[in-house]
Amino acid sequence: MHELTFFRTWLPVIYLYGVGGIIFLSGMVIIYKAKSIKLERPMHKKWFYVLIFGFVYYLGIHVFLTYAALNF
Amino acid sequence: MEQIIHTSPLFWIIIAGYFVLILGFGSYFAKYNKNTNDFFFSGRRFSWWLITMSIVATGVGSHSFLKYSAKAFEHGFSSTMTYMNDWFFVPFFLFGWLPIVYYTRIRSIPDYFERRFNRNVRILATIAILGYMIGYIAIGFLTMGKTLEPLLGWDLYTIIWVVAIVAGIYITFGGQTAVIFTDLAQGFVLIFAGILVFILGINYLGGFDVFWNALPSDFKLPLAHFNQPSNFNFVGIFWQDGVAGSVGFLFMNQGLIMRFMATKSVNEGRKAAVFNILFLLPISTVVVSNAGWIGKAISIVTPEKWNANIALDHVFTEVAALVTSSEIVFAFIIAAVVAALMSTVDTLINAVAAVVINDIYRPIVKEKDEKHYLKAAMVISALATLLGVVAVTFFDNFPTLYEAHGFFHSTMTPPLVIAIFLGIFWKRYTTLAAVSTFLVGAYLMWLGNKYPAFLIGPFDHGISMDPAHPYSYIRALYNTLVCLASGVVFSFIFTRKVEVQLEAYTHRVVEKARTYYAGRSHSATTVRDIFFFFYGGICYILNSFVKNAASDEKLDGITVWTLDKAREMFKGSKPNDTPGLQPIVTWKLEEAEDSFLRFSVNDMVKMSANVGDLVYVSDKRRWLGGLKSVHSVYVEPHTEDGVVYMTPDLLDAGQFVEGKKLRAEKEM
Repeated sequence: MHELTFFRTWLPVIYLYGVGGIIFLSGMVIIYKAKSIKLERPMHKKWFYVLIFGFVYYLGIHVFLTYAALNF
Repeated sequence: MEQIIHTSPLFWIIIAGYFVLILGFGSYFAKYNKNTNDFFFSGRRFSWWLITMSIVATGVGSHSFLKYSAKAFEHGFSSTMTYMNDWFFVPFFLFGWLPIVYYTRIRSIPDYFERRFNRNVRILATIAILGYMIGYIAIGFLTMGKTLEPLLGWDLYTIIWVVAIVAGIYITFGGQTAVIFTDLAQGFVLIFAGILVFILGINYLGGFDVFWNALPSDFKLPLAHFNQPSNFNFVGIFWQDGVAGSVGFLFMNQGLIMRFMATKSVNEGRKAAVFNILFLLPISTVVVSNAGWIGKAISIVTPEKWNANIALDHVFTEVAALVTSSEIVFAFIIAAVVAALMSTVDTLINAVAAVVINDIYRPIVKEKDEKHYLKAAMVISALATLLGVVAVTFFDNFPTLYEAHGFFHSTMTPPLVIAIFLGIFWKRYTTLAAVSTFLVGAYLMWLGNKYPAFLIGPFDHGISMDPAHPYSYIRALYNTLVCLASGVVFSFIFTRKVEVQLEAYTHRVVEKARTYYAGRSHSATTVRDIFFFFYGGICYILNSFVKNAASDEKLDGITVWTLDKAREMFKGSKPNDTPGLQPIVTWKLEEAEDSFLRFSVNDMVKMSANVGDLVYVSDKRRWLGGLKSVHSVYVEPHTEDGVVYMTPDLLDAGQFVEGKKLRAEKEM
């Protein structure tokens, strides 16, 4: 078992959503610039929100589980 | 091996019964395979929910109960990492790769490489992708063997041969439709079986509070320690699984791509992918890992009941045997797991057959009828099964399945992943740069493998090197970077302009060498002979790589920057995106040689459709998920509202039932 240092608790969460966030943002910028996603189309606009939601949703799950493991 | 868990004949009857039931279920749907398109892609007709459930079995099966239970027992809730880090690449997939795959109607990933670059790059991609899939099949067989080992007490390889024969027979005759339907049933069964183990485990321990409080905080954290230990750390697994694995699974898993190509539209494919990643993956990760968590809690709460000598890869089987008080329930759980692995392997065997038929066999053996290719696909399925069994020996050398899989992903995926990724998203990526990604990238990866401390060490993020299996996971970062660097650097050196000049130059040298040899009269070998032989040879090879290389025109429809063109090419004219309704109609037959659907004027107005637009009709009963459906084009309308006239070939392909109504929708 490891000690509950920063390397064990929050650094992985920060790294995951920091580096992962850069990858995700690059994807969003590329598909927008390439006009693969067209925000003027209602269906695509919905998909745009779904994509943002997915990122926040997983971030929320990891933050919640880390907090729960440390406090409950 | 000694039989660790003792079972009665009833156990094996249930296992056999489950297999007969599930294989019979899938085989029933094999009748929908009319040609290789159906055999491999199921005729692009299914609804998102059917595809998403069938993906569950492929995903869960491939990642396996065994390997996650082992890591969950050792490291806790962080075993869920690999299922919860896929979202970062979803924008690239939903609005990049998925529409390209669908609209360009590519039959395989190597097929994409030929369209994007040229035939020689296709050959390189075919070799890489076949190696990847055969390796995956081998890991599937090894997992199945290890699941059954403690139950049967047989030699591991005897078990593997037996399951390989069953898998081979099934896929050889079933095809993709059978796999999709088998997986659909298994998706539900697997989730049920996994949750059942969790509930029974919690009950066995005496409640959720006992389970939660027994486990230390460290065990309950959802992500592993940043860089310790070397065989399970966050940063290594992020690069191996979150990056190489996620891209590999979404972008180059031919089996998964074939599932998406079986959806009735791109939008249905997007729904299937999103639903799977957002909702089913978090459930699946609990389903596959919980046996390890339960096992750990049992070993703390009631250590006398836990077999402390159990091998890590047998944790799942041990926990299932402990928490199920009835042998029938235990047999059901084991059957579900083994059958799920069978699904994964079947999907991959089917995918190997698709690649070999479309990328190797069809270009060599041309102009045969569909029955011939279907038979050839069956033979190749059987051969792929055999090769998978042979490849098991390599992966059996790793301490656990998890590490075998991690090493495999880190090594096999980067060149293909980078080539696909740059091909889709970077217009300047040239043919010679793609070749360099494979060849120079592979060479640098080999160097990294030979000198890990020197080359991979600088990227290790503080992970200590295990000399027996150096940098199993973080090597993915080094491998990805060297392949990416090869692709980018060579794109700047060999620009499209340089490739055109190179093609002309090498062509001239080859012609000169040919002329020289044709007019050569002396018998002794001269320096000039040697020069023309070697330099002419090099130019000949180089020319074959730059011939028909990527041009702006060639990029139409196959990069994310030209997707509108892809849709236009898919339809054959400008897409009609005006929203319309989906009328319910009855069908009547119209004898004609061409395939078409003829609607009434009013129904076409309802659908906002024009003559020449693409249309999809399916049985009105939504629960069929598009099994009885067909794609076609609108022709000149009639005046009989609520009726569609269809040609006999469409009736046959759609398998529509007399008297059953159809739902019509304009595609584009």
